[in-house]
Amino acid sequence: MSTLTTSLNILAFLGLSPLFEAIIRKVSARVQARQGPPLVQPYLDLLKLLGRENIDSAGTWPFRLAPLIALASILTVVAVLPLAGRESAFTAQADTITLVYLLTLGGVSVLLGAFASRNPYALIGASREMITMILVEPVLAMVLLLGALKAGSLDLMSALYGAIRPGYGIAVVVMLAVYLLGLQAFVARQPFDIAEAEVEILGGPFIEYSGPNFALFKYYLMIKQMFYAYLPVAIFVPLPRSGFYGVDLLVQLALTGLVFILIGLLAATHPRFRIDQAIRYYAVLFVLAVLALGLSLSGF
Amino acid sequence: MVLLAIAPLAALAVGGRRRLAGWINFLFCLAAGTLFAGASVMAIRHGATESSWVAFGPGGAQFLLDGFSGVFLALISLIAVAAAFYSIRYLDHYARYSARSYYVSYPIFFLGMVGIVTVDDLSAGFSVAWQLMTLASFLLIRFDREDPRNVRVAWRYLVLMELAWLFILGGASLIPGAAAGDSLHELTSKLASSDATLHSAVYALLLLGFALKAGVFPLGQLWLPDAHSVAPSPVSAVLSGVMIKTGIFGIARTLFWMVPASAEVYDGRVIGLVVAALGTVTLFIGTSQALKQNDAKRLHAYSSIGQMGYIVLSLGSAFYLQYSDNPQLRVLAAVGLVGALFHVVNHGVFKALLFLCTGSVQYVTGSKDLNRLGGLIHLMPLTTVLAAIAAAAVAGIPAFSGFISKWAIVSAGLLAGKDTVVLALFAVVALMTGAMTLAAYVKFFGLAFAASGDEAGRSAAPHSVPREVPLVMLVPKGILAAICLFQGLFPAVLIQGLLLALRGTRSSFPAELPPLAMPVALVLIFAAAFVFARWLRAAGGARERKAPVWLCGYQQFNGSHRYGSDAMYAAFKNFTRWTGGNVK
Repeated sequence: MSTLTTSLNILAFLGLSPLFEAIIRKVSARVQARQGPPLVQPYLDLLKLLGRENIDSAGTWPFRLAPLIALASILTVVAVLPLAGRESAFTAQADTITLVYLLTLGGVSVLLGAFASRNPYALIGASREMITMILVEPVLAMVLLLGALKAGSLDLMSALYGAIRPGYGIAVVVMLAVYLLGLQAFVARQPFDIAEAEVEILGGPFIEYSGPNFALFKYYLMIKQMFYAYLPVAIFVPLPRSGFYGVDLLVQLALTGLVFILIGLLAATHPRFRIDQAIRYYAVLFVLAVLALGLSLSGF
Repeated sequence: MVLLAIAPLAALAVGGRRRLAGWINFLFCLAAGTLFAGASVMAIRHGATESSWVAFGPGGAQFLLDGFSGVFLALISLIAVAAAFYSIRYLDHYARYSARSYYVSYPIFFLGMVGIVTVDDLSAGFSVAWQLMTLASFLLIRFDREDPRNVRVAWRYLVLMELAWLFILGGASLIPGAAAGDSLHELTSKLASSDATLHSAVYALLLLGFALKAGVFPLGQLWLPDAHSVAPSPVSAVLSGVMIKTGIFGIARTLFWMVPASAEVYDGRVIGLVVAALGTVTLFIGTSQALKQNDAKRLHAYSSIGQMGYIVLSLGSAFYLQYSDNPQLRVLAAVGLVGALFHVVNHGVFKALLFLCTGSVQYVTGSKDLNRLGGLIHLMPLTTVLAAIAAAAVAGIPAFSGFISKWAIVSAGLLAGKDTVVLALFAVVALMTGAMTLAAYVKFFGLAFAASGDEAGRSAAPHSVPREVPLVMLVPKGILAAICLFQGLFPAVLIQGLLLALRGTRSSFPAELPPLAMPVALVLIFAAAFVFARWLRAAGGARERKAPVWLCGYQQFNGSHRYGSDAMYAAFKNFTRWTGGNVK
């Protein structure tokens, strides 16, 4: 049974993440009074890229290795995730800190690829990506720790489903606000798409990637985005507990879709911050998250 | 045993021929190191608890080789032997100096460090060991003496270390009734029977002295980055890898052996919290300063301060938690303490490896400036792989050794937050600092090895074409890298040893610990996902083509157009300007 849920995890994320990407595109097109691409467009993009010519501009192993590590790390994260309140076969093997470090590993591989690309724009992107990681990863960690520390255990079940166990306290409300304020930064969308900034530094870390290598990075970004959109649903929304795993999962995924609509709306209506402005914003989030964690540990 | 380490002194005084002297030095260190390693394994297994009197001619000193010193002894031997091996060819780099002073000082330095962790007093024997270590390392730091700046740095180091010695000696002499040659055990019992108001002064002086050695903020910033960056690289490896650990050794001995069991719970908790807070400040400040450096060796040195912060934090919070009545918190104290010791060993290995790799870069290109270096992956493929392993380990990437120890330190702190909120906040700072360490090492590895700019590297080279370093320099690095990988994948071996080694602490630790390892299952999932990603990449049957980067026609100016270490993380450097250590 648990092996089944693990495969379901991976299939759900591999299968649905392009659809959610399509929702963002559709929403922002509608905001701009356009029709927008069909919902299958991101799937087609990936397929097309997989067949396109793979240009290796660096000729070194870090350049070729980076996309593989990125996709593998996010798939490992997905495999241990307890979806719909049910443990997967590997949930017990990982804990909150392992999860945070695995997410960091994905970011590291992006940086590795960027450094290896021998392109100044890639390095500008890498610099911005790393700054974002320094300040945003701890915020995510604290969101996860809220539930974990309430239950007094770092395992993922309490991290994802423990925060609202006795009910909403002040700490949970503050943390929810932090998550919503940080949402665009987690998914690297406007106004926080500073590292990639297509119109400014041409995709930043990914500038030299093409064809299948780029497809892997794109897939990594989509899955990561879905993970960050799924997380608040799991942590802050009580499970329906209908008794059927499938129903619970569908409800959660539908809510994740709503989060994506929010992401799309925010992205379409906010211009990009400069990195120095973003740092100050992240610092405020960090302080708020520390506050929420402190409140929670003191019993609020 | 100790005689063997003295012997090189005589042998090397005559060693005028540089390579021959290098080999003799290495063989002596190897022989002594092997014996020490054997002794430390015995000590960890069986652990003497009583110190014994060893006489040297008219005088003598109390020696104690328990499991705890065994761990440090083994680490010192490993790093000192590896660096001696590496020195044989590295000294070619300093052709203008005679190698004699180097090879005379090196074994004495080794001996001094061994003395610090085995001598069991805080008076005569300790002073001899401390002076041997300090004077020999002073000569080694001063080795490149043509530059007056280096000499100044070495003198400052000497003065501060003598100051630390005075602090420690002063602290020990404050204990009423303390006589020269008393073992720590006797000192502790005398301290226990004395007036409690004196305690804080004694502990403050002892901890101040050892903190100066270990590089705790703000004391470490006074000497550590300068001394570690001007010394020859193998010496930097020993300084950063093990010498500053003697400070950690002293702090741990003071906390866990010298605070009498009768101490008030309140006092113990205050000491623990103060130490933990100092550790937290140290790790944050040290690492944020590391991030700003353009000089590769200064980057490693500041990062050493940061990593010592992790260890001090964990020692302090473990000490605090062991006063708890709650058995769960006592388990966390044990996890934290084991994590701290594990990090001592890990840091010794990977930081030594990083300094040796940087030394190789210097040997080949003549530069350690991250603004100029680049593209070394084409020229030094093996060193690149070894540096990647070390950088991954220090950055705490899962399944590498640094991850395990940081995980133990951080999770112990977080879980203790339920009892004491401030410990969880310390742990959150440590978690965030982990990302900053990552940033510093992504920059180091990325700019020097992966990124473009081999044109820049070449122009800086004294030799016409940079190339991989000789085998004699690669082998010690390879051995350290293998140990590094082993500790990441099979941490249980070392952790078992550390648990044995910690039996001697005053507190009774639970025998069972939660498993501290990256589960094999996760590594396997990652491997499976990796294979899937490879399959996916090839599934479309896309053609591959190699083409140089298009830089709008300015390819040949790649070196002067690159995005250097100065610009890297500039916004964040501005944001953390207040932490100091700014470059320019």
